[in-house]
Amino acid sequence: MTDQFAYPSDRESASAAKVQALEALLIEKGVITSTTVDKVLGYFESEMTPLNGQKIVARAWVDEEFAALLANDAPAAIAQLDLPDGMAGAEGEHIAAVVNGPGVHNLVICTLCSCFPWPVLGLPPYWYKDPVFRARAAREPRAVLTELGVPLEEDTEVRVWDSSGHSRWFVVPSRPEGTDGLTEEQLAALVTTESMIGVAVVEPPATVGSNA
Amino acid sequence: MTTSEVQYDESGKVRLHDSCVTDANQPVFQEDWQRRAFGLAVALSEFDHYSWDDFQGELIRSIDTWEEKDEAPSSWEYYDHWVAALERVVDEHGLLADGYVGPRERDHDDDHDHDHH
Repeated sequence: MTDQFAYPSDRESASAAKVQALEALLIEKGVITSTTVDKVLGYFESEMTPLNGQKIVARAWVDEEFAALLANDAPAAIAQLDLPDGMAGAEGEHIAAVVNGPGVHNLVICTLCSCFPWPVLGLPPYWYKDPVFRARAAREPRAVLTELGVPLEEDTEVRVWDSSGHSRWFVVPSRPEGTDGLTEEQLAALVTTESMIGVAVVEPPATVGSNA
Repeated sequence: MTTSEVQYDESGKVRLHDSCVTDANQPVFQEDWQRRAFGLAVALSEFDHYSWDDFQGELIRSIDTWEEKDEAPSSWEYYDHWVAALERVVDEHGLLADGYVGPRERDHDDDHDHDHH
């Protein structure tokens, strides 16, 4: 390593100070008010959560027509569900679904700027934006998935989807076996954020919580 | 710590970040300033001070520049790029310039000029 990438010890506080100063200036100039950022954050944190994605996946599992529409026109399908207002905003119009099935496993990454389908999955986990994760997932997705504990048959095709500003992918994972008697609500509770990124599979209810 | 080093295993492969394997439920933001930076960038876009594409373009440029360095970068902080992009897009759109006209005022002028209502 050279000093070229040396990490100044005060970098953390420098970025923090920049953000604070910028927000204060924008408020002073009247571009935003002192509550604008909190309102937007509050909306994201209360309404744009993986609960939306869970409901969408569960509906797709019980309703073939919905599943077909979801694969072809995700925003139109999502609009049919009773989800929070504003789902179409915040880049929601660019959401697209890819569907796991026999012999096909989908993995979503963003190699450039960590685009993420916020309205469906909430904000991304921190590691999703790590360049090592992104680089490796793009180059050797099968090895990465194995390390993450996703067992794939040799003949299962791995499709890697690179999100961009204009296509924010999420995965419709396969419905686990042994869930025939579950309600849509119970099914939704099985779906994890990781499974909708494609770095996990949905476990049947009998094994949920038993892998600690 | 918010930094991570790119590491290689004995076969020359990039080693997967520990948190990818050990904890898939890491907090979304590690520091409050990251959360503020996120909220600020989204808020300004939602209220039409710039398009999300404009912001994202700057974010991509900032990350590209970092990744194209000859040597393996030794540290990574996603939200440093976020803040850099935010500063640039705010500057380019003149949000802090004297006489800046926001989207609401612009819409109002348009309505007036073209007598839409």
